Amino acid sequence: MSSTVRLLAVLAWRNLWRHPGRTGAILFALALGVWSMVSLAGLTRGVLEGQPERAIANLTGHVQIHAPGYRDDPVVEHSMPPPGPELRAVLAAGALAWAARVRVPAIVVSERESAAVTLVGIDPAQERGLSFIPGAVVAGRYLESVDDAGLLIGRKLAERLETRLGWRVVVMSEGADNELADRGFRIVGLFDAEPEAIETGYVFVGRRAAQRMLRLGERISEIALVAPERDRIDSLLERLRAAAPDLDVRPWTEIEPLLVLTEELSNVVLVIWYLIVFTAMSFGLVNTLLMAVFERTREFGLFQALGMRPRLIVGQVLGESVILIALGLALGNAAAALTLRWLESGLDLSAFAEGFEMAGYSPVLYPEVAAGDVLAANLLVLVLGLIASLYPAWRAARHVPVRALART
Amino acid sequence: MHLKNRRILGAALFFVVCTASAATSSKAEVDASAIVKAAIDYWRDTSSYSVARMTIHRPDWERQMTIRVWTRGEEQSLVRVVAPPKDAGNATLLVGNEMWSYNPRINRVVKIPSSMMNQSWMGSDFTNNDLAKADDLLDQYTHTLLATEVRDGHKVYVIEARPKPEAPVVWGREVVAIRDDWILLEHAFYDQADRLVKRLTTHDIAPLGGKLIAARQRMQQAESPEEWTELRVLQAEFGVDIPASTFTLANLRNPR
Amino acid sequence: MLLQLAWRNLWRHRRRTWLTIAAIAFSAALLVFMITIQLGAYDMMLESALRTYTGQMQIQRAGYLDKPQMRTSIAAAQALAEHLRARVPEASVAVRANGFALASSGTRTYGVPVVGVEPEHEPGVSTIPALITAGSYFSGPAAQEALIGATLARNLRVGVGDELTLLGTGRDGSIAAAVLPIVGVFASGNPELDRNLVQLPLETFQEIYAMGDHAHAIVVSGPSLDAIERLEARVAAALPESADGLVLLDWERLVPGVRQLIDADMVQSWFVYVVLIVVVTFSILNTFLMSVLERTREFGIMLALGATPLRIGALVLLESALLTAIGLAIGVALGGAIAGYFRVVGFTFPGMKEIYAQFGLPGVITPQLSFATLTLGPAVIFAFTLAAALYPALRIRRLRPVEAMRAA
Repeated sequence: MSSTVRLLAVLAWRNLWRHPGRTGAILFALALGVWSMVSLAGLTRGVLEGQPERAIANLTGHVQIHAPGYRDDPVVEHSMPPPGPELRAVLAAGALAWAARVRVPAIVVSERESAAVTLVGIDPAQERGLSFIPGAVVAGRYLESVDDAGLLIGRKLAERLETRLGWRVVVMSEGADNELADRGFRIVGLFDAEPEAIETGYVFVGRRAAQRMLRLGERISEIALVAPERDRIDSLLERLRAAAPDLDVRPWTEIEPLLVLTEELSNVVLVIWYLIVFTAMSFGLVNTLLMAVFERTREFGLFQALGMRPRLIVGQVLGESVILIALGLALGNAAAALTLRWLESGLDLSAFAEGFEMAGYSPVLYPEVAAGDVLAANLLVLVLGLIASLYPAWRAARHVPVRALART
Repeated sequence: MHLKNRRILGAALFFVVCTASAATSSKAEVDASAIVKAAIDYWRDTSSYSVARMTIHRPDWERQMTIRVWTRGEEQSLVRVVAPPKDAGNATLLVGNEMWSYNPRINRVVKIPSSMMNQSWMGSDFTNNDLAKADDLLDQYTHTLLATEVRDGHKVYVIEARPKPEAPVVWGREVVAIRDDWILLEHAFYDQADRLVKRLTTHDIAPLGGKLIAARQRMQQAESPEEWTELRVLQAEFGVDIPASTFTLANLRNPR
Repeated sequence: MLLQLAWRNLWRHRRRTWLTIAAIAFSAALLVFMITIQLGAYDMMLESALRTYTGQMQIQRAGYLDKPQMRTSIAAAQALAEHLRARVPEASVAVRANGFALASSGTRTYGVPVVGVEPEHEPGVSTIPALITAGSYFSGPAAQEALIGATLARNLRVGVGDELTLLGTGRDGSIAAAVLPIVGVFASGNPELDRNLVQLPLETFQEIYAMGDHAHAIVVSGPSLDAIERLEARVAAALPESADGLVLLDWERLVPGVRQLIDADMVQSWFVYVVLIVVVTFSILNTFLMSVLERTREFGIMLALGATPLRIGALVLLESALLTAIGLAIGVALGGAIAGYFRVVGFTFPGMKEIYAQFGLPGVITPQLSFATLTLGPAVIFAFTLAAALYPALRIRRLRPVEAMRAA
């Protein structure tokens, strides 16, 4: 049996190269189709699925814990005590990284302008591996400790406030006693972030510095954490809720429900695109195979007259198809890999920045390769391609030997 | 929104609220902080009552308002509008860092939220913060005596005030000129690149309420000559007895 | 003569021809469908951006857009609006006045924008009047009532029937104050509006803010997005002499992000289309190639009989063009029919309704059918396939009669 397979493979391979131009054309079509599937999936994931990634990295995390009421009304009075030993144990066991933050609405004032922002008091070490901020400082320095009273502000916010690195600004908010809480902070670092709303809407300071300013004592506004896998957090959620029954424990899917919808939508769009490209390719594939079958009608007749079973003829044609598809897939995947590698540092679409901003997207697009997408594209092309090839194969096997032989 | 005339009212109070018992005769050449303190003590006493007219000038319009001001100690003040008739009765109460606004037409008291402390007060060039933080010049700054000049026969101290690192002050530095009788002549505000942003200057010094005070002062935006606010003191009394009940929400709502 | 020959040649291989036609028809239908949907989606996007609140165009005093100050207002705004309504009857015209206030519920106070609207005309330019989630819309142009966004209502902890205290500054610098019962709560889907906006009937607003007959914007919307430019010209022409110092701002000035969003999407879509077209082109390139290769002998005879290679090339090109034309005709008919069907029933897919519902939109795309949307895609396909057909046609020049006749 294996020798038959080998024979079929050799036959199919030789047959393919009888018309190198034709094979080349269909190969190119297949490769281009596969390339477009995989790279478009990468870009779409970059835009759409990058959204949860970005939101999670921005400040959301995979799970957030707040005092009840904070999500509706994120003010200082909805604060909570720092995590107790029980909650800490669950966090330490179940989260890759977690951070306790102070997060309140505030006003930043410079000599000439003021802006409404969210003041975030962070533990600079805890934020590593959790949020974007440790890696986002582009000028000056990152915060050094929870006591660090240096302020990190977005570069665009600094421009808007007409202030700069090293200068002081005043941050005003409401203290835990509901009285004005304000103090001056020196800007020690400027950060870049996407989307722009983050860059202009958030300022960061050491957590204890924020607590002192807001007269919060040890209290915090939120705990954010990242889990090993963002789609498998149910049991962690249960344990967190058990450890903190009085607090509001929410997964990212509830904090950013629109992202979940967008992701589902992107799946639909990708599948539609796969099917469209496949259909376009399959016309070429079937047509090419049909041609190959017709011009070899005599040959197939001869084989059959010599006692080759129709099954083997079908196998021969399918073999050709498999080789074509496999080569197309290999070329297409390789080209897509190169394309995505080339775009790894980001596809800059800042010419449309305002538009992207409006849609909540970042103007720089980073492709995201999801193994599932690549696998789906390849399997779809292979399986549906073979199914489409059944028709030419069946035509080849159907010819009655004598009639076929008589044909010139 | 432009940040305007922060601390202008503090400066304004230099002349609105003065006391006759200040250390006018003190000749001791002490350090700069002491001079500033003396100047603040000169205008801020146990209590005061005054009437002033405020003119807000813009390129295309101008508006006047008459206000009555009561102060007691460092923490309490009440401002009530008397004219124009439309705004008469509107009042602002300040106790410490907290601030409330009262409007007679709707008979409601609204507490000014922290996020609004930087907004304009009653449509003027003062921000709410300017009113609430009038006495910051004393404890939130370090002072240096830059020069001692002689103007109109008076010795004038030119003092630089730099905000302390944590001070809720946006300015790079402020420069005040204080006469040897503790009247403030000038108060300039510089940004952190040391460009002048605005300057308060005293135009008239007149005897009111029993002593010499700055009777007319103008806050001028350095970058737009047609934007200024002027305060003219019409009447002043110092050291008068003002009951503590003046500075309560009940009194804000139902003036006696 | 040549045409007849080409037509006959086409049907020598019915199956192959039909398969090729099917490929072209498929891609043409798809392109027609996608382009009509795409433009329909842009319309919906614009609708969402403009219909909610902004309107298609606004008349403002010059300079107000960049620096919205209360004094930069339009005198006798309602008279001007009446004038426009009389001159441009097809347009919806509504006057708005904008202010700022401390909005207080007693326990809570927020600084918010306050807008005076004409209750009888506002529904023509904004969807907010139709998106009341609790209570009702204003009962009249001078009703002492306030309408507030859902998030703001939650933050203020108020509902329908509760009193809202407003404290701000009037146009003349006087103090603006009012206590109004909340008559309705709206959820526009635009978080910014829902969190911030307080609306009052225009005359109530004008009284509170000492506006006299002044206002800040005259919002104009026409029945259809296609007619925006014409409407703009009509409105501009209808502005009286007395409107000196006023400017007519179109939506691209009011919300510049939307144009960029559309442009960005346009670029992405055309990338997708071109990939699709190239895949199809290479799929059918083989058909054209084979039709030359397998007829080498035939062409040899024709050459020997005196036909010039140019003429034979023209024949081959004509065959390809005919093939493509048939495919395109079927494709356009099919795509147009599908688009037409969805134009009647509306196009939607899972998830879309949920996303758009948040913006107060039906989540149903109406495909945009026009000569351009029907022909643009097919025209590009035609260009590509002709380019593909050129290669086999040029090969004919290389044929030598004698060798060619011996071939095959």
